Amino acid sequence: MKRNLNFTLTITLLITVLSITTCAQFKLPPYDKFELENGLTIYLMEKHDVPLISISAVFNAGAERDGEYSGIASFTTEALRFGTAGYTKNQIDSLFNFYGSNLSTYAELDYSGLSTTIMKDNADGLFPIIKEVIASPTFPEEEITNRQQRWLAELDQAKESPRTVIGSYYNKLIYGNSPYGNPVNGTKTGIEKLSGDVVEEFYNFNYSPSSTAIAVVGDFDAETMKSTFSDLFGDWKGYPIKTIGDTYYNEVPFTESKVYLIDKANATETTFRIGGYGIKMNNEDQTQIDVINTILGARFTSWLNDELRINAGLTYGAGSRFRAYKQSGTFYMASFTATKNTEAALDLAIKTYNRLFEKGIDEETLTSAKNYVKGQFPPDYETASALANLLTQMYVYKLTDSYINDFESKVNALNLDRTSELIKKHFPKDDLQFVLIGKADDIRDVVKKYGKVIERDIAEDGF
Amino acid sequence: MKYLFIFIIFTVTTIAQVTADDVQTITLKNGMKIMVLEDHSIPNANMYLFYKVGSRNEYPGITGISHFFEHMMFNGAKKYGPKEFDRVMEANGGANNAYTSQNITAYTNWFPSSATEVIFELEADRIANLNFDPKMIESERGVILSERSTYLENDPMEQLWDQVQDVAFFAHPYKWPIIGYESDIKNWTKEDLENYFRTYYAPNNCVVVIAGDVKLSEIKNLAEQYFEPIPEGPKPRDVHTVEPEQLGEKRVFVKREVPNPYVMISYHVPETGSDEHYALDLLKSILSQGRSSRLYSSIIDHKQLAIEVGAAYWNAFDPTLFHFYGICSDNVTATQLENAILTEIDSIINASVSENELQKVKNQKLMRFYKTTETINGMANTIGTYELFFGDYKKLFLAPDLYNKVTTEDIQNVAAKYFTRQNRTVGILQTEEVN
Repeated sequence: MKRNLNFTLTITLLITVLSITTCAQFKLPPYDKFELENGLTIYLMEKHDVPLISISAVFNAGAERDGEYSGIASFTTEALRFGTAGYTKNQIDSLFNFYGSNLSTYAELDYSGLSTTIMKDNADGLFPIIKEVIASPTFPEEEITNRQQRWLAELDQAKESPRTVIGSYYNKLIYGNSPYGNPVNGTKTGIEKLSGDVVEEFYNFNYSPSSTAIAVVGDFDAETMKSTFSDLFGDWKGYPIKTIGDTYYNEVPFTESKVYLIDKANATETTFRIGGYGIKMNNEDQTQIDVINTILGARFTSWLNDELRINAGLTYGAGSRFRAYKQSGTFYMASFTATKNTEAALDLAIKTYNRLFEKGIDEETLTSAKNYVKGQFPPDYETASALANLLTQMYVYKLTDSYINDFESKVNALNLDRTSELIKKHFPKDDLQFVLIGKADDIRDVVKKYGKVIERDIAEDGF
Repeated sequence: MKYLFIFIIFTVTTIAQVTADDVQTITLKNGMKIMVLEDHSIPNANMYLFYKVGSRNEYPGITGISHFFEHMMFNGAKKYGPKEFDRVMEANGGANNAYTSQNITAYTNWFPSSATEVIFELEADRIANLNFDPKMIESERGVILSERSTYLENDPMEQLWDQVQDVAFFAHPYKWPIIGYESDIKNWTKEDLENYFRTYYAPNNCVVVIAGDVKLSEIKNLAEQYFEPIPEGPKPRDVHTVEPEQLGEKRVFVKREVPNPYVMISYHVPETGSDEHYALDLLKSILSQGRSSRLYSSIIDHKQLAIEVGAAYWNAFDPTLFHFYGICSDNVTATQLENAILTEIDSIINASVSENELQKVKNQKLMRFYKTTETINGMANTIGTYELFFGDYKKLFLAPDLYNKVTTEDIQNVAAKYFTRQNRTVGILQTEEVN
């Protein structure tokens, strides 16, 4: 492949998509939003180009709520489909598969979710299952235990791939023991403590209609669908909410650079991230920040990719990203290089980054980036599933339609003066934080110059 | 993204809104074939260029050069010098990528339709006048070595796959990795690249698909202006090496420190254009698509022997491999997982599959088709894939009948015919070799 897709705009989470793009013509298609008496929020959007219906549901049960049971949020959302009052796990899997579908579940730090795309002719058969999975899961002990055993092996396996786990190390370095430092897939210690009862308690505590949204997008009549979903979910009671709103997170400023060196003795390359705090998801500057980040590290001709890959041949790909959460966010540059090139690649990444502060951006580059983000936008909202995800993201992050509809005007309004202001305000300049996964014996001495080194073995549980 | 997961074929059991008549074909005087699908749902379009060259066209000493060449296509031509291809495209709102497989090399451009002419100009410049700057060659060599290193670093299954391919093929060029051997990557010359360009990058060895917010008349004019003047090249020589019949089970061991063993079992099967393709493709889905599939439900869910298991069977011009693979659960040996996979294979050979399973995978194909037609990129890739691997994009629209004709007996027959001990290669990757 020509490039490392980690840094293209098209394949990462919708959060990235949201944070980067829009196009001249794009306005959010019409949709209906309403709330049932039990507090459940439902979005409906018609889209008739293919006979499919996409569903996205989000729950206020992200990994930031894990507490002592590291990984429980992610585990619980998957366990929703292990059995319900009316269907066994086997029946759920078989019915979805028979009709050509899959029922997917996932967790993020801020929320967890469920999504699927079904053929419209199968809606009557599959909607009731979706309802039960959300509203009446039973968490059978045997299924929980089986999954727990595999999960533990998967945690070991994941560490074979530095790029898979570096995000968890990075958040641990940035956020420490506060909730955004939680690894979404948990630790072995946390997963070992789980049981059916513990999972059920987490569900009862965190899953409730009044903190849930379901978006339905596709080939249907909205009036009929409104009635269908109102009937389907109207009797979901849930348990009384025991938490009020979101936990408040206060960012602790960094006072020194740290190097989190993760030793993987058989590594042949060093995988790294460099950065600090970024922005919250609903930051009003987000659109314009992402245009600037496109120039730094979110397209093929970005400064980082140009320097590290094209000019120096040190890596297959280099880039940068803002990862925004409800209460905070991170910024990082990321790449990987042969062990012997570690210092050269890190030095070049930092030098390239400092151009932002020392030279800034020129008019031609800014115009190009503005065209790029606008031009690449429409395909991101081409499918029913992308639009369903968008609507539920808007619910989670309390975004209004203007988030999409005013994107173009925000991009167009960005000029060089404003660019300088935003760089100064939002791109971390001092006390950068480093995570390096590689062969520590070969790079330990070299990386001391970047900051205070904290070393641990990749085989140790957790991050 | 991995090369080997690119060619998942999108086949169908029922055709939705798009029909064969919606796809228009232009054939230029130099032999270049261009297929156009107008779709005005978003103000964007794409251009996919498929060259009939991949690692099967290489030989020892220049392994990986097809993929290296893919990278060099972005490094400068006559009008647009080094870096200009990407800079001009991105400044006009476009983005691109490319991939190389054993069989083909594809270049993909995604752009607002207002940039259509710019894309033609950029592509024509590099097809007609690619330039090899020695500095860019050396820099790109480093990029490729990093690409090779990072996929081996991050995925032990890739490492095992490379070794199994090598052992399974005795003669055919499918035996070497698409990215090439490290020593070959370090030693290609500028002359090797120039020869490759002359041999394989002529317009008559290329199929183009354009889908999206364009007009056929506009595309015809642009194609005639920019692509038609590029001279036709000689027909590349055929790959005439035929893999001989395998005469007995082969086994390969790869030593690597991993928490749990990796297992791969691969069988020789016919090429994509074979009549047996449809039965093999449905069999792959029955075995591995979804949590109710044979392999997942039995080996992961019920027996708890693996944390990952699957089957793979990619499009290929020549007879290829059908792979089974898995990663052991804790305290499960490679032998146990190997035997469990073989048990599932035997159960299909001995007891066939149910009508219900067959209908399920036909439904899965239909869903895949709808999802494909939902995006202009899905359509462009599918049209190109059919044109190349089935000889005619129109066969996309015959696929419903061909899939529907497959019976449970057909599936049992291909399983019995190809999934034999004599025809298989077994690969194991783990920390220590066990007797």
